Amino acid sequence: MHNLMILAEETANAATVVNEFEETLLRILVVIIMFGLGAGLTPKDFRLALRRPWGLVIGWFTQFIIMPLTVYLLIVSVLLPFSVGEGILFVALGALIMGSVPAGTTSNLFTYFSKGNLALSVTMTVNSTLWAFIMTPFALFIYSNLLGLDESLAVPFSELAIVILGLMVPVGLGMLLRKYSANVGAVIELIGSVVGLLFIPFLIIIWVPRNWQLLLTTEWPTYVVAIGMGLAGITVAYLLTRLIRLHPMNARTIALETGINNGPLAIAVIIAVYIDNPGLDQILLVPALYSLFIVLISAAVTLVFRRANLAAEQKIPSLL
Amino acid sequence: MTERPWVKQYPEDVAAEITDFGYKNLPDMLKAASTEYAKQKAFTQVMPNGMNGTLTFKQIDQHSDSFAKYLREELGLSAGDRVAVQMPNCLAYPIVAFGIFKAGLVLVNTNPLYTASEMIHQFRDSGAKALVVVDMFADRLPEVLGKTNIETVVTVKISEFFPRVVAGVIRLVQRFWNRSLPPITVEHTPFQKALSAGASSSADVEGYQKNVDLDTVAALQYTGGTTGVSKGAMLTHGNLVANTVQMVTMLGKNVRPGLETILTALPLYHIFAFTVNLLAFYHFGGRNILVPSPRPPSNLRRAFENYKVTWLSGVNTLFNALLNERWFQDSPPKHLVGSAAGGMSLHDSVAINWEKLTKSPIVEGYGLTETSPVLSFNPMGGKSKLGSIGIPVPSTEIRCVDENGKEVPVGQPGELAAKGPQIMKGYWQRDDETANSIKDGWFHTGDIAEMDEEGYFKIVDRKKDMILVSGFNVYPNEVEELIASMPGVTEVGVIGFPDEKSGEKVHAFVVSSLREPSKDEIIAYCREHLAGYKVPAKITIVDELPKSPIGKILRRELRDGAIASESKGA
Repeated sequence: MHNLMILAEETANAATVVNEFEETLLRILVVIIMFGLGAGLTPKDFRLALRRPWGLVIGWFTQFIIMPLTVYLLIVSVLLPFSVGEGILFVALGALIMGSVPAGTTSNLFTYFSKGNLALSVTMTVNSTLWAFIMTPFALFIYSNLLGLDESLAVPFSELAIVILGLMVPVGLGMLLRKYSANVGAVIELIGSVVGLLFIPFLIIIWVPRNWQLLLTTEWPTYVVAIGMGLAGITVAYLLTRLIRLHPMNARTIALETGINNGPLAIAVIIAVYIDNPGLDQILLVPALYSLFIVLISAAVTLVFRRANLAAEQKIPSLL
Repeated sequence: MTERPWVKQYPEDVAAEITDFGYKNLPDMLKAASTEYAKQKAFTQVMPNGMNGTLTFKQIDQHSDSFAKYLREELGLSAGDRVAVQMPNCLAYPIVAFGIFKAGLVLVNTNPLYTASEMIHQFRDSGAKALVVVDMFADRLPEVLGKTNIETVVTVKISEFFPRVVAGVIRLVQRFWNRSLPPITVEHTPFQKALSAGASSSADVEGYQKNVDLDTVAALQYTGGTTGVSKGAMLTHGNLVANTVQMVTMLGKNVRPGLETILTALPLYHIFAFTVNLLAFYHFGGRNILVPSPRPPSNLRRAFENYKVTWLSGVNTLFNALLNERWFQDSPPKHLVGSAAGGMSLHDSVAINWEKLTKSPIVEGYGLTETSPVLSFNPMGGKSKLGSIGIPVPSTEIRCVDENGKEVPVGQPGELAAKGPQIMKGYWQRDDETANSIKDGWFHTGDIAEMDEEGYFKIVDRKKDMILVSGFNVYPNEVEELIASMPGVTEVGVIGFPDEKSGEKVHAFVVSSLREPSKDEIIAYCREHLAGYKVPAKITIVDELPKSPIGKILRRELRDGAIASESKGA
């Protein structure tokens, strides 16, 4: 996500220089957060997530089937009919890529805050990132054909490997530390969650001033797509998982995992593939907007989840 | 002596009588363990997020010596003075409690959640001269202290004896996030300061115990909060030592000295955890995992994850709550040897589900504050009967008697009366109440029970909770257990409610997670399984039931509330 805003800025306002300090800081924050999340987990949590693979299967389905379809429907029902801007198909292509990439660490953080199943969330992120090697190009192929774009795109495996390593190494280290000392683990988990809380306003504070022009010049159908895809992804996945009577905790997890996609990954892939394309700015538009708004949407959804579901689950007899 | 059919039921490794155990008093018994297991871990306090602190037997021994010296030398208390203690489960608790015993003083356990007026009553009644209180609850002191004889206040932090950085983090969270540290406006001494003052004294701790024998009062344990005026049961050193030995004898080879770990989720200020977890497990070198608050039950998760818990003591409410927790269902404790249930009746459905999930036995026992507390439990190595409170512990006699104190025939309900070395000396400064409950050495419990041919007892109900519907006895337990067995029902409380026609009618308060089953379904189910007069005339669906500190459902409060709301409605 952090790459994204800076890259988006680089392309949208070519004059601005990348602030390496901010980028490094964000990278460090993400590592601290994942480290803290890991310190709250045990190997048993992962065994349980794998023992009941239904969550993973359903998550795969919502991630690679429901989410790209949702984006496609938004494109054909809102973006194409109502947009008057130029290069609208480039914008659509960016939206499709954004909708077809897997989830990243942001979904893990929000799952933690909404008291979801963190082990399932991390497992799903790893799983969907591995599948992205096949499924992201596949989804893109299908829907770009339907849009008459005839695009094909290969996701560089190295990008996926970086995502998986960046996730698993700090989480694994956090788990190890907790095993070594429950006290150290608990302190790190606390620090991770405090950093996670600060991460959200921090992101907004450095994103908005840089990109306010982008916010002003973007037309409304693009907003609908960029905001709607995350919101719709979360809503549809939640309703679906509740419909098949998954535990609310797992339903929350899968919903967030589906709706929150890996912004930085989408950006990196686009840059790698379309660097010489004259429509690069437009392709990056939806991923840039999505990355800002998904944080706001997820924060709001987390509040709703905490209120609604925790109230229901706390009906467990209170004692003492 | 009456016939004692239960003696045949003791497993091979259980003696029918506890012989002279050779301990002079409680400190003597504690010292034996402190010496034998000196280097082992005695107490580990675990916070909900997994932060923890640990003390060994030797550290407990040394610190409690220091605290005893502080009480006697610094504060100038003299033998028999009362010291009130008001804190949740934490590492300071055993030090304070043992220190009080070692100093030849009397421990007055006080519920930290008490209101100011309850505190005033208990402190005045006991005449406590010093108070050891957790700082989180010290805000009530200004209005309390002036009305009592308390001269000294020692304040304890919840993070006492934690590693320094961790303790600092806990303080920060308490201060800025939970805002649970009120300013303390009364004069007070921090616990660590008291300890170092005591440590610097060269007084001989054993000297304080010279005149402390088994007949000396060790604790005033307040009870009767559920019946009316709270009164102090005088528990002697002999009561507590005997009950510890009785229990350990009854457990036989099921406990391995020096190797067990018990999760202490119930509060230590309550007699159940005090004797079973604190005294008995310390006695044979067990490790206590102290959880400051088991509410919500997820607070126990890290304790179960991070430690190999081999024993758990609890009440029906706690076991039921854990069975309803998803994390507990997903990974039940693997090392559990057994669980002990007491405090209130254990529902059959809970017992069955618990054993199925944890693959370890749960044994129900029975006792009261006045009996230190254990009177009976199911022998772990022998026959354990579902729904029964088991057989009397060694050297204990139990019988069921009628109104005139005559023993009733086998299988007939009567008031449970007990005799044994664990029966209290009496109620503190209430000779009339003492005379009412202890007759010819038999303590009358106020519980209705039945004994079967093998000497197993079954509690029918509290005498005073019995509902009289048109001259028929209805025992709330029976109705509660039936309703609780319906899927969707999490808890239920049944009371008698005044009625013009039938004298009383049955009123059930039901907590159900999903608003299922409906009132009509509950009534239909009761009709199917109960005689007509036992079927609730009224059902109220509620979010929560009023509970005592250990989670017992307070029927009296339900009744008072129901009567109040009825008169308001009329």
